[in-house]
Amino acid sequence: MTDSDGIAAVETIEQVPAAGVSNGEPVVRAEGIWKVFGPGADKIIGTPDAELSRSDLQRKTGCVIAVRDVSLEIKPGEVFVVMGLSGSGKSTLVRTLIRLIEPTAGNITITGRDVMQADTGQLRELRRHTVSMVFQHFGLLAHRRVIDNVAFGLEIQGMPKAERLARASEVLTLVGLEDAANQFPDQLSGGMQQRVGLARAFAVDPKLMLYDEPFSALDPLIRRDMQDEVCRLQIETGKTMLFITHDLPEALRLGDRIAIMRDGAIVQLGTPEELVGSPADDYVANFVRDIPRTHVLTLRWIMRDPKPGEETGGPELDVTTKVNDAVPMAAATDGPVRAVENGRCVGIVDRLSILQAMADRPEETEPSAPGQGGRPRTPADRSSPAGGSS
Amino acid sequence: MLAAYFLLRGEFDWPTSLTWQELSSRLDSAQGWLLDQRTAEHPNIIFAILDGFRALAEWLVTAFINALEWLTWVGTIAASVLIVLRFGGWRAALIVFGAFVSFALMGLWEESIQTLGLMSAAVLLSLAVGIPLGVLAGRSDRYYRSITPVLDAMQIVPAFAYLMPVVILFSVGPAAAVICTMIYAIPPAVRITALGIRGVTPDSVEAARAFGSTAAQTLFKVQLPLARRQLLLSVNQTIMFALSLVVIAGLIGGRGLGDVVTNGLYSNAALAILAGIAIVIMAIALDRATAAIAERTDPTRQHLTDEGRRRARIMTLATLGAILAIVLVARALGADALYPDEFETSTTVFTATIHDDLLRWIQSALDYVQDPDSFIFGITEPIGNFLLEYFLEPLRLVLVETPWFVVLAGLTGMAFVLSGRRPAITAFLMLAAIGVMGVWAVAMDTASQVLVATALAVAIGIVIGVWAAESPRVERMLRPLLDTLQTLPQLVYIIPFIYLMPVSRIPGVVASVLYAIPVVIRLVTSGVRNVSPAAVEAASAFGASRMQVLLKVKIPLARESIMLGVNQGIIMVLAVVVIGGLVGSGALGDMVARGLQRNEFGEGVVASLAILALGIALDRVTQGQRRVQPR
Repeated sequence: MTDSDGIAAVETIEQVPAAGVSNGEPVVRAEGIWKVFGPGADKIIGTPDAELSRSDLQRKTGCVIAVRDVSLEIKPGEVFVVMGLSGSGKSTLVRTLIRLIEPTAGNITITGRDVMQADTGQLRELRRHTVSMVFQHFGLLAHRRVIDNVAFGLEIQGMPKAERLARASEVLTLVGLEDAANQFPDQLSGGMQQRVGLARAFAVDPKLMLYDEPFSALDPLIRRDMQDEVCRLQIETGKTMLFITHDLPEALRLGDRIAIMRDGAIVQLGTPEELVGSPADDYVANFVRDIPRTHVLTLRWIMRDPKPGEETGGPELDVTTKVNDAVPMAAATDGPVRAVENGRCVGIVDRLSILQAMADRPEETEPSAPGQGGRPRTPADRSSPAGGSS
Repeated sequence: MLAAYFLLRGEFDWPTSLTWQELSSRLDSAQGWLLDQRTAEHPNIIFAILDGFRALAEWLVTAFINALEWLTWVGTIAASVLIVLRFGGWRAALIVFGAFVSFALMGLWEESIQTLGLMSAAVLLSLAVGIPLGVLAGRSDRYYRSITPVLDAMQIVPAFAYLMPVVILFSVGPAAAVICTMIYAIPPAVRITALGIRGVTPDSVEAARAFGSTAAQTLFKVQLPLARRQLLLSVNQTIMFALSLVVIAGLIGGRGLGDVVTNGLYSNAALAILAGIAIVIMAIALDRATAAIAERTDPTRQHLTDEGRRRARIMTLATLGAILAIVLVARALGADALYPDEFETSTTVFTATIHDDLLRWIQSALDYVQDPDSFIFGITEPIGNFLLEYFLEPLRLVLVETPWFVVLAGLTGMAFVLSGRRPAITAFLMLAAIGVMGVWAVAMDTASQVLVATALAVAIGIVIGVWAAESPRVERMLRPLLDTLQTLPQLVYIIPFIYLMPVSRIPGVVASVLYAIPVVIRLVTSGVRNVSPAAVEAASAFGASRMQVLLKVKIPLARESIMLGVNQGIIMVLAVVVIGGLVGSGALGDMVARGLQRNEFGEGVVASLAILALGIALDRVTQGQRRVQPR
């Protein structure tokens, strides 16, 4: 992990405050978060009105539910993605976590501290040292140089100028912008501006990073670069991240776990594999229908129980291998491939099951029934466990 | 309404039973009481505060003038030009230099310095109040919502209407001028500051909060620097508003160019015009200089690196050093505090100004335009008479001679149809108040002038505005002209027409048309421009001709802007029409002018109140269904 000076520095700074958090303790624990906009918002929760749909409630009370009874836990080092269409309440949710938007109800704990009970000063400390945020429209300060933008969080903390500029230039190196330190945000491309936003968030060495649709405003190619960048930074620094997006491929690429939101509530929470493999309802199924399943699903989803004699011999692949990645080996051998877990064969994958998995895409299997396109798909082999991860 | 006019004309004047007869004398005695209180041995706390404020304002004005005189005339020019050169660039510096040279050559140096001093004091005090209020309004939605109607109301009141009350509270003198200017200039300062703060991208502010900024850190590190250009533009606007009023303030004891203009109107026309020209030059120079500084020092565009920042600091120090050196040398060589009328050498005496030549030229030009045989007179005279004969007089007769209850009902009805129920109620109450104050007929005279002028301004403004919206070239050509027209003080508009069209109410009306037209043009142009291109494209796709697109799509869709133009236009017209009272427009303006000049306080205050009521009524009649952001 410490393969360059800049990263070494990041690590040394990180380790000091990190000592307090035990490994298994969630970085974020949020329970029953509600956010209702409108008059008398706090009186709605707990009444039958709270069960009404958004439009019905708005007609009846004039209130809008942005976040509806959301609970989630984010583990240390995890990349947790919240995905939903615009208006699903995902941006509101992320803001309630550090009370940029005051939640109407709920309990929030971040690194063991109760956010809801925090007074103004404690909340400010939390925002200064523990959590940092990357914004959709960057939120850079047009009147400051790139390096001063990166140092902004440290300046707010009250760090002396020389020290914060030194730290800022380390982080700039980390995101590959060391040459742009003296430029101004409006002289940079969108992608580079968001790198500055990333660097600014990294500079304060937070326990938790919040990303609010950081790449939505960027071109597709740049977006991919930036996703790679986030993956790299996450691996190098091991930060815990909460990532908001409306882009499913992005969610699948980055997320260890993904929560899909609709009308303010979480409709499904699971690994990418679980979402694609067994969508909880039509809404999720509709979302994932265009995703090439073989890119997401692992062998676990397509393997069958071994017939007698098949358990030994022949090529083997780990059961967490993506179906797509198994294709070359399956093509190279005549016989079936063994899926192994901890050195033990747990199932058999043959060419036929791979081909079926590749063919099993809703728009190809049901071309004549567009009206039923939302029917949930099930894994080819229902006998295998749905949740094999962690 | 016309039917009622023909059937019942002259039958129903505002009834005396509905008039508060003693109002005027009551006000006179109230003024007497106020005067006693103010000059009492031990004034009570309110008057002590008023008096303290008066002393502060006077002290500030004197301090500014003394400072400029200490610099000597050489130093004043050097300081102004070098500072503008440092922060605003050479173009603006050149304009400032040209302005000071003109003041010197015109022989109006002392008056210009007095005006600058008066204006600086007024601007300083206005900003001291306006910017903090604006920052508050920029940060708090609730405060912004509560202050907006107050600002709207303050901007409706013509400046001319509060000269009288201010004089009563503070007596004549520079302090009264400063305070009038503050009343006039604070609302735009607050509004522009608030808009600047609110205009900062919410993302930057949210980012600051997310990183744990305190309110103060957000304000000083994010909002103020990012809004800085807008804040400096609010300074620019405040200066323009202040200058505009400083001129009228000549009427209430403010010294300087305004004094020369207002006195010269009656005794020395050429001198008044010369001073008017000086005011125009001052307005343009101040506008260009402050606008250039606002642009140049915007930290979001300057892109200053450490190196650049250091160099900028050195440049600033060098500028200050150079100014100090020039001032000290000038003082050592015995330069005068004010630019002298003549330079003496050991052998000869040179005349330092071309004051007398200028006056002679202006006088001959005046003689020419007033000579019945001249070409210009042949154009201006008939226009003036035509307006008077076919528009002003008939409308005045209609409004004055139609039974009062018909006019009242008619205007209230218009307000109801155009603007809705609450504006209609307000308009009704305001018009009724005018009647009760016993100035119904006079106010209707003013109203007739306002309506004619507004109709003209709107008609011309719409034509030119639509033309400019259709043709970028026309807009480009108009822009500098409109910019200049918008920087000129109100009174300056009237001066030329006193001599060009010396027919009773015409100068005021024509000047008010000119004053209002730029705003109408701007609103119409932007309204037509901002019509959704998709709608225009769709119409063209259906084969509409350019004229059809204009008449069936663009103008209907721009209706709201055009309505706003009417609303703004009518308020601006009223402001100038009442000033016309100084030069024979009669009506309410005349009552105020007489009040000021002959100490007829009661009458003056009544007229001021009537102007206020008329302004509010006309605003409510034309404000339309939805109030859009006013000027």
